[in-house]
Amino acid sequence: MGEGDLQSADTEKKGKLMDGLILGLDLCDAYTQLVCDQGERSWTLPTVICRKKEEESWMVGEPAYASALAGDGVMVDKLVKLVIKDGTSTIGGIRYGGAQLLTQFLIQVVALAKKEYNTDQIKQLVFSVPRIHTRLLECLRGCGEYLGAAREDIHIMSHTESFMYYVLSQKREVWNNQVGMFDLSGEGLCYFEMKVQRGLRQTTVMAEKERLEEGFSLDILSSPAGRKMADRILCSCGNRMMQKKLFSSVFLMGKGFEERDWAEGFMKLVCSRRRVYVETELFARGAAYRAVDFLRDKSAYPYVCICEGRLDSSVSMKVLYKDQDNQLMLANAGVSWYEASKEVELILDGQDYLEFMITPPDQRKKKTVKMELEGFPKRGEKTLRILVQIGFLDERTMTVTVTDQGFGELFPSTGAVLRQEVMI
Amino acid sequence: MSVIVCGQKRAEHPFYLEELGINIYSCQELCYVVYHHPLLFMDGIMDQSLVDFIRNEFNMGFVAARLEQRMKSGEKQEDILLFFMQECNYYTTAELNKLRQTLMSFKKLSVFEYAKKKADYLAQFKQYGRAIAGYEEILEERDGRADDQFVSRVLNNLGACYARVFQFRKAMDAYDKAYEKRKDMSILERMYHLTLMDGGLALKDRYQPMVSGELMEKWKREFDQIQEAAKGSPEVEQIRVLFEKDSVRRMEGAAKLVEEWKQEYRGMA
Repeated sequence: MGEGDLQSADTEKKGKLMDGLILGLDLCDAYTQLVCDQGERSWTLPTVICRKKEEESWMVGEPAYASALAGDGVMVDKLVKLVIKDGTSTIGGIRYGGAQLLTQFLIQVVALAKKEYNTDQIKQLVFSVPRIHTRLLECLRGCGEYLGAAREDIHIMSHTESFMYYVLSQKREVWNNQVGMFDLSGEGLCYFEMKVQRGLRQTTVMAEKERLEEGFSLDILSSPAGRKMADRILCSCGNRMMQKKLFSSVFLMGKGFEERDWAEGFMKLVCSRRRVYVETELFARGAAYRAVDFLRDKSAYPYVCICEGRLDSSVSMKVLYKDQDNQLMLANAGVSWYEASKEVELILDGQDYLEFMITPPDQRKKKTVKMELEGFPKRGEKTLRILVQIGFLDERTMTVTVTDQGFGELFPSTGAVLRQEVMI
Repeated sequence: MSVIVCGQKRAEHPFYLEELGINIYSCQELCYVVYHHPLLFMDGIMDQSLVDFIRNEFNMGFVAARLEQRMKSGEKQEDILLFFMQECNYYTTAELNKLRQTLMSFKKLSVFEYAKKKADYLAQFKQYGRAIAGYEEILEERDGRADDQFVSRVLNNLGACYARVFQFRKAMDAYDKAYEKRKDMSILERMYHLTLMDGGLALKDRYQPMVSGELMEKWKREFDQIQEAAKGSPEVEQIRVLFEKDSVRRMEGAAKLVEEWKQEYRGMA
């Protein structure tokens, strides 16, 4: 489909792209897609890597399959799972860690874009993954650096977030009401839904993903009976997920929808009274759009985006400033939890605890979480200076580390440290 | 109960506060010492070197410029201090008003009462040299304007300060003059204690009839008790613990302790 108003500044983009690649990379166990924003060039290949038995020479994608079939190489697949499980694979007597193999794989993938555009520079690199996992995050950041990107130019987002950015990059009429998406690939069947809440002060965009248990292997599409059954399954899912809702558009994503003649019933169902788009590189494109956005001084998406991988509640703390109670914002709703970290130095006056205010989109569900500072010194008034560092383990778990900073030479630090996980 | 955000940068190069013998690293620490020891700082802490420190180390250029402006216009020191403290957002307006009242009450004291209070405060913080100078200044300038009771109290405290810096002869002289102004047996007792600390000193003949053998025995007993108690003081315990350590750690500890003593002595002198 054509690009919306957000992609209209093509010249601006190309100007920026001259000095480095802007890459969106969708990484799954089944496939990997790379989109280079420069010239709308993309690559899709199976997420497999193969090393020749006799020498340390690597191949990825289809050549990897071919080499393994020919018997002169050893192939490793499911690289994402291997990283998450911190697994290893031994080839030719050498034990490779999951991260090592994934790095090798990504070197080969990104080399395609580097070769095409004749540059080694990476200006922005945004990974899109089915599910955000701490170990995968760290590994991808490391891979990104190895590929030559600066750490601050490497970002990781969930498929849900990519879906959101992709849709928001289209013309407004595409996402006026709800937007649905079916993703059918070797990874299974997932349903995504996005809605926009327009408020007076801000617009909130929410997206969710549901993995459907009815998912099936794409292999069944090779037989007439299997195709019929697959159509029936999709119709049933479509009816269940989309009934009584007003959709502006529906997207069909994944290898399963490359051919649609097998899904006659389902296509009839989704195509009634709404636009339907087939996009086979949606996650990688969403990631690339976001990569371009990172380069802008002001985001083209001035919305609070809430989805998997982002905080749906804000975290704040009541502080005293110029005799008045104020809210010190520690984490805003809509920011990526793995990028949301803050440290602040505070002085406690007459209290030996911290109180965090958790505010979800529905303000009526606001709650406070108290953290007692056990083991911290009892000092005179206004002399307990602490460093509060917050970070997140996932969308729901905030880690808080509190350290006694002492109060100069008047009250040296006791070295007291407290670390706690807070459910938000 | 409240939480205060420390917005300002902490100093990389601290400001040494001679009055307390400590380094200041943050504007909160500076506010804290002024708030708790206003007598030490209300008369002249805010000078160009402190303003430069505030500008360069706390990154408070705007506040520093306004402080300079106020200093040039001849504003009172206490008002300049209060302005700075307000800008630091460490104390509330109510707390600063309380401080303002305390400062006003000091200002209401007579010149000599104020000077004595300040010297007493310095003595309390072991700044004996500065306290002695303060007391002597009062004695020089009193010029018959202060009553005997007050002068005796000043001389008594001067004697105590001299004793603290081991100038027993000068201490004896100050106590002697204090007793002349106010016939108080506790002053005699202190003079007697000085004779115990310095064998070269003796109570003057004119005091002998007032001090019976029994009384001297009682004072001696009290003196011995105090000396005995001093043996178990935390400072002595610290040295005992130090000597139990191996030679390397003992030397390290000793060097640190001697440095602390030197620092303390510089404050005293």
